[in-house]
Amino acid sequence: MTSLVGMAFSLLRRMLMRGAALLVPAGMRAEWLREWQAETWHVERSCAGGWYATAFCLGAFQDAWCLRRHAQREKARPVALHGSAGQCLLAMATVLAASCLVAHLLPEARSATNPLWAPARTGLILIQKSSEAKGGTSIPFELFQAWSARRQRYFDEMAFYWMSRENVLDGGVLKGAWKIAYATPNLFTLLGIPAQWKNEDGGADDALPAAIVSDAMWRRAFGADPEIAGKVLHVGRREARIVGVAARRAWKLPGNVDAWVLEPEAAMPAQASGSVVAHLTRAGRAEMWTGSVHITAYGRNDTELDLNGFSMDDESVGPWDLYRFALFLALLALPAITTVSLGEYSPSSHRPQWPRRVVRWLYLAAKIALLLPIVYYMSLDLAYWRSFGTTYAADYIQLFSAFALCLGGMRWALLDQRQRCPVCLKRVAHPAQVGLVSRTFLAWNGTELMCSGGHALLHVPGLPTSWFGTQRWLYLDASWEFLFAGPEAG
Amino acid sequence: MAVEPKLSHTAAMILQAIHAGYIYGFSVMEMTGLPSGTVYPALRRLERDELIRSHWEKQSIADAEQRPARKYYKLTAAGKSTLEASRRRYPLLERLIPTEEAKTV
Repeated sequence: MTSLVGMAFSLLRRMLMRGAALLVPAGMRAEWLREWQAETWHVERSCAGGWYATAFCLGAFQDAWCLRRHAQREKARPVALHGSAGQCLLAMATVLAASCLVAHLLPEARSATNPLWAPARTGLILIQKSSEAKGGTSIPFELFQAWSARRQRYFDEMAFYWMSRENVLDGGVLKGAWKIAYATPNLFTLLGIPAQWKNEDGGADDALPAAIVSDAMWRRAFGADPEIAGKVLHVGRREARIVGVAARRAWKLPGNVDAWVLEPEAAMPAQASGSVVAHLTRAGRAEMWTGSVHITAYGRNDTELDLNGFSMDDESVGPWDLYRFALFLALLALPAITTVSLGEYSPSSHRPQWPRRVVRWLYLAAKIALLLPIVYYMSLDLAYWRSFGTTYAADYIQLFSAFALCLGGMRWALLDQRQRCPVCLKRVAHPAQVGLVSRTFLAWNGTELMCSGGHALLHVPGLPTSWFGTQRWLYLDASWEFLFAGPEAG
Repeated sequence: MAVEPKLSHTAAMILQAIHAGYIYGFSVMEMTGLPSGTVYPALRRLERDELIRSHWEKQSIADAEQRPARKYYKLTAAGKSTLEASRRRYPLLERLIPTEEAKTV
């Protein structure tokens, strides 16, 4: 009976000890348990087990709890963020959040990234006279009429437009001299341009031609009024009813247009000369080997006319395309402004273990992963912080700023990486000039930097030589630790 | 000027006990009369403050005596000077736990 009670007590003590051990931080658990088990063994022998030994074991909970609290306090102690990898990533994340927020607050940037403008119809070509430059608009309307009336093998739909600068009045108030594109009514459906607040029914009852205002002019002249549809404008000597606003960047044909007036072919002046947009049939697409094609058109009395057709499929360039192009250019230019190596490592036994090296690479990956969206959003912010009137100006600003930010950012990311201790990822500090430049061929000269954690020294050559071309890390073993011990160590 | 840490009476007693030759937890408990829930956490704190240091008994010795190896504690130089200061603060400390030298005097 006594032995059974003793076994029960022994089992209880063992369970208590194991339970208390769970409170101890994992790193100290094994040694802690070993000490308590040894002490309990001696207590059991000296006191013949029983209640006293069990009460002794209860003290293990207090001991374990104290260790746990101390470990938690150590963990909760504000981490020395200054110069740390965490501080760097935090700062980058803040910049990303701010630039993203600004991009979403800027209406111009918002509409530029709006997917409304992105989808465009494919298989479209712009047709112009071959004797003219690409931007010329010189096909007479009567030729278009005669040509489009014929049976077409390569085109299933054709539209005509011509441009003119006209004074525009809204309710007797002069809105300015706008660049107007007069077009056949099917131009927008042919191009696949979406229009916001399109309200064609509003103008169906009267004979007024439909007018579509550009996004930029809608914002500038009408203050982005959502009730614009249905207004009657005086365009030159004609009247037109606004039926909608063209989505931003939708117009990919040559020239900036402030508004489009869609009028029936009968109302078009015969002497107008402009450009033709056509949609290719399958046979027509098969003929488009390159971006342009030579076309022979037949007008009245079978007169031949040499024309050139330019594919419009590859001209859809948006902020994302510009950003990718800038990124590509920056990656090409990067080796020209900095070395892309991350530093030479000495093959010593103190080289960091592979988990540390993985963390170092992950840190670089995290920096680049944060940098790329920062560049995208900051370039958008710079390009669209104010309206430049044309999309081209914004495009150039975005392209240039994305390139510059990407190049500078990548260079910084690599430089920062090279100056971080491979063990603790803190920036090395306390630069000390070593040696004389004049003695390059006799002795090493350069700058020595130190990891504040005492893990490594970084040697950057002052003048790269064949025997010391790039920076080198010198890892310090544990015997150096006392020099770098923090004040709390004592 | 170095600032000497001020110990509580309990910590000073434990330090004095270790100095007096009670060099493992259970013996400190027996000498001071303090419970295990007080003595062992205090030993951890004193070790953290580098007033004492611990080491494991050689396994061969423990094996020869057919018992588990014990963890022994020893005063550091800082611990000795702190104990000196504590004795001045708690004059009865040495009488409560006399050292071998004090016993022979």
